[in-house]
Parts: sequence; C-alpha cells; structure tokens
Amino acid sequence: MTVKHWFPLALGVVVALLIPAVTHDNYVIQLLNIAILNAIVVLGLNFATGWVGQINFGQAAFYGLGAYTTGIAAKAGLPWITTPFLSVVIVMAASLVLGLPTLRLRTYYLAMTTIGFGEIVRLIIVHWEPVTGGTSGLRAIPGIGVFGIGPQGQVQHYYLLIAVLAIAALVAARIRQSSLGRAMIATKDSEIAAEQSGVDTTRTKLIAFMIGAVYAGLAGCLYASSIRFISPDSFSGTQAILLMTMLIVGGMGSIPGCIIGAVGLTILPEALRFLGQWYLVLYGLGVIAVIVLAPGGLASLASRLPRWAGAR
Amino acid sequence: MTDQAIITARGVTRRFGGLVALDDVDLDVPKGIVQAIIGPNGSGKTTLLNALSGASHADAGSIRIDGKEIFRLRPNRIARLGLARTFQNIRVFSNLTVLENVKVAAACNTPMSMLNIMLSNGTQRQREAEIESTSREALEIVSLAARADDRPTQLPYAQQRLLEIARALASKPKVLLLDEPAAGMNMTESMTLLDTIAKLKGKGITILLVEHNVRLVMGISDRVAVLDFGKKIAEGAPSAVQQNPLVIEAYLGRRHRHA
Repeated sequence: MTVKHWFPLALGVVVALLIPAVTHDNYVIQLLNIAILNAIVVLGLNFATGWVGQINFGQAAFYGLGAYTTGIAAKAGLPWITTPFLSVVIVMAASLVLGLPTLRLRTYYLAMTTIGFGEIVRLIIVHWEPVTGGTSGLRAIPGIGVFGIGPQGQVQHYYLLIAVLAIAALVAARIRQSSLGRAMIATKDSEIAAEQSGVDTTRTKLIAFMIGAVYAGLAGCLYASSIRFISPDSFSGTQAILLMTMLIVGGMGSIPGCIIGAVGLTILPEALRFLGQWYLVLYGLGVIAVIVLAPGGLASLASRLPRWAGAR
Repeated sequence: MTDQAIITARGVTRRFGGLVALDDVDLDVPKGIVQAIIGPNGSGKTTLLNALSGASHADAGSIRIDGKEIFRLRPNRIARLGLARTFQNIRVFSNLTVLENVKVAAACNTPMSMLNIMLSNGTQRQREAEIESTSREALEIVSLAARADDRPTQLPYAQQRLLEIARALASKPKVLLLDEPAAGMNMTESMTLLDTIAKLKGKGITILLVEHNVRLVMGISDRVAVLDFGKKIAEGAPSAVQQNPLVIEAYLGRRHRHA
C-alpha cells in the first residue's frame, strides 16, 4: 500500500463519515442508504461478472430474495438476528440450484438463465400475495435490533450501513489478494490456461456466483429491515440491468469502481429530477459518455489522474 | 522400460468428424529426458498434446502419468497430478500481473478456505507467502523476476512465452509439455529458450516438446517421435530419426523438395 492507494481510501472514509454532519435532510440520508445497499450488491455482482466475466442478470433477484426472506420472517415475529442467516441460506440455496447446471455453459447461457430466474422470482413475489403482499409489497417490517438495541433514525442506519459496506469491500479485497481471486480473474482471461494451471474453473465460477448472491442476500436483508418497506419494483429486471450498468460505469473488476458506480447512479436520477422527463436523456448520455470515453469505468480515470497532474 | 516411463500412452485415438487426427498412437517417455514430437503441419502434434493435458480429450486409449491413469480427467486434475503445459498461441492472464500469473499455478496444490481468506489469518498469510516464494523462484528461472509487477501484455512476445513456462513450473510439475515454445522467437531468444530447457532438464523435469523448427529440436532432444497423418511413423535418437527413410519422405524430404 502506497500513498497513492491509501489516500483516496482515507479521503472516501472521511467524506462518508462527515456527510451526516453536513446535511440533516433525512431524504438525502435515506437516498445514501439505498446507494450504500446498492454498492454492496454491485460488489457482489463484481465477483461473477467483473472478475470471472460471466454475465449475471440474476443479482436483483437475489437482492429481492434476501429482502423478502427477511421481510416475511420478521413480520412473522422471528427475532431480527435470525434474518441475515435465513436470507443467506435462501440465496445460497437458490444460487447453488441455479449455478450448478448453468455455470458449465459459457457466458450467454448464464445471462439467459439468470434473466429467466429473475422473472420467476418477480412473478412469485407478485402472485404469492398472502405471503409477499403482491404488487403493494410488505409494509412496516420490524427494524434492526439485537436484544432491543438497534439503530434509530436515518443517520444511525447510515453509519451501520457504511460499516457493513466497509466490511463487504474489505472481504472483496481479501478475496482479490488470495488464490481464489486470482483464479477468478484467470478463469476470465483464459479458461483453458487456468484449468491447465490447476484451477477448477467450474468450481471457481460457482463460488464467485454464490459469494455474489450472499452479498445481495445480505444487502436485501438490510434493505428490508432499514427501509422497512419492500415491493417487487425494487428487485425487477430493470433493477438487474441498473446494477449491471453501475458495475460497468464504475469499473468492472475494481472495488472502488463498484462503490463509485453504485453511489453515482443511485444519486444521479434524484439530482437530475429538476429536468423532469428530460433526466433520462441526460442520464443515458452520461452513461454512454463514460462507456465511450472511459471504457474501464470511472475507476480507471483515477489511474490516469497522476499523469494529468504530472503533465502540468 | 514401462517402470521408468513417466508418460505411457496406449492406443490414443482422436477423431474430428471423419478426420482421424490421432490414430492409435503409443508413446513411452522415460523419466527425466527431453522428448520431442515433430511432424508436418496437421500431423496431430498439438492434438496429442491436448489429449495428454486433457485440454481436448482423446476418444479412445489409455494415458498414464507416473503410473496414474489420466484418460478423460479434467485438465485441472491432470495439472495437480504433475503435468503442466504451455500454449502454441500464448495464453497469459492479461488482467493479472506477471507475478500473479505464476501464482495462479503455484496455488495448484495449496488448500483454500473461505474462512481463512476472510479472516486473513496466520494460516492464510503463511500459504500466500509460500505461493509467493514458489512463484518468484519460477520467475527467477526464466529471468523474469524484474518484471514481476508488470502486466504480461507489457512484455515482448518471447518473454510472454517464458512467462508461460514460469507459470507451468510453479505448479511443480513432473512433466512439462511445451507447445512450439520457439514460435515467433528470433535466434537469440531461441538460444535463451534452449538454455532454459536444459536448466529444467537438470532439475529432473521430463520435457515433452512439440516443435516445428526441426533443427532446434535435434540439438536439445534425447528422443524424437515423428507423427504423420495422426500416426507415429518413427521414434528414436535424433540422429537415427533423421536417417529414417519414412521420416525423410513424410517430412524432411518434402521440405527439401520445396526448398
């Protein structure tokens, strides 16, 4: 770790911690909370898509599975502490069942299968009304609390979610620095060379897919119990594409990129709200501009920065 | 003979539709030698290498590495049993550093645990340190240690080939398959390559070399097998093979006529 590495990190942490001191607007904090949750989901997506190179449109469905598992369990009266475990068990089971038969196949098959999976999950949520509340969703989900202690108000939730995001990013960084992370990237770069180097590429793909699902499941659990209202819209196919866009705009394979992309694209539509109908035009142009001008995503701009600074 | 053979292949056959790319090929490679496989274009050299390494399985036959049957095993299993290879078309991991490229293979026999990775505990750091030292040693052997932190795509072509050799070495193989390692190399680079191969032989690694450049092969190999239309037509010491009329007709003769 050089100055170049830890300075942006430290800056990011300081800014993140100071935001609630600058703004007391609950709406802003709640928006940031959703941005942080999205960042965790995108960090998860990065394992299978950014590192292993598999196109996965099922991430929103895992997010939803986690959220609904927690929502249903908490409303049924189970203590909050059980809900992260329940959510993780459900998404792990779902990702295993989905991943085992499809990950042997190459790229596009997984893309198609995960689109189908997302649609199945959405349809179950919409139609299993007595349990899921159908299109109107679940309201008044009990909040986070362990032995009666839990965050109160948006700001406390914000700090809790920032801490979870930090852990999620740290675990991702550790995986990247391990033989597992290298195996993931090797699988993307050359599957046959990875195999001949002793990497079980099928297993690596499955693990990456499942870790990603666990990230989404945990984020879903926190979504349900911190926003306390969930509906199928938050976990639709559109959301799946949005998560993929966040990953691409932020920078595939880059941990800071995932966070920048998720936070940026969560906030941007709200920031552009004054444009009314026109916001989508600007939003779309912005996304295209990033893809054309910085194909490595926003995170890749950071590595160009020293060169610009040096030139002056 | 079979006791000392590190590779024992029997009746290896591979068909692509109506084309028989490998026709009932037998091969015995004694431990510790440099064995070359030569043959004209399309004679089945790379197909044989792919069958041995599991990259593309044979349809029939038996292949033993150090006594263990590997026929139809997945390539990663074969790699862990001690067979490593390089590729005719370079296949480096372009999104990893040079050192990380080698680390991928060095981790081949190291157990991995999610919990250790997440905690980054002593066991994990110990394992990573071992992988790192194995990898740096392998880079040292091919004189790429100074480029450890570069991206492989920043290396000249010949050095990318050496990186593939280092990656293969890092899995501590008993057998190393080199698929046209001198392709695209100039004279100086080929000489460095020959030195490296001699060094590896000195370490007791059996080397199976598929090569187009016959002159290069003759100098370095202890034994040469010749393939033509998927059949093994000759095998023996380089000098003997060069004299073999079948070989001259199938390969050297044809080259002479064109020249």
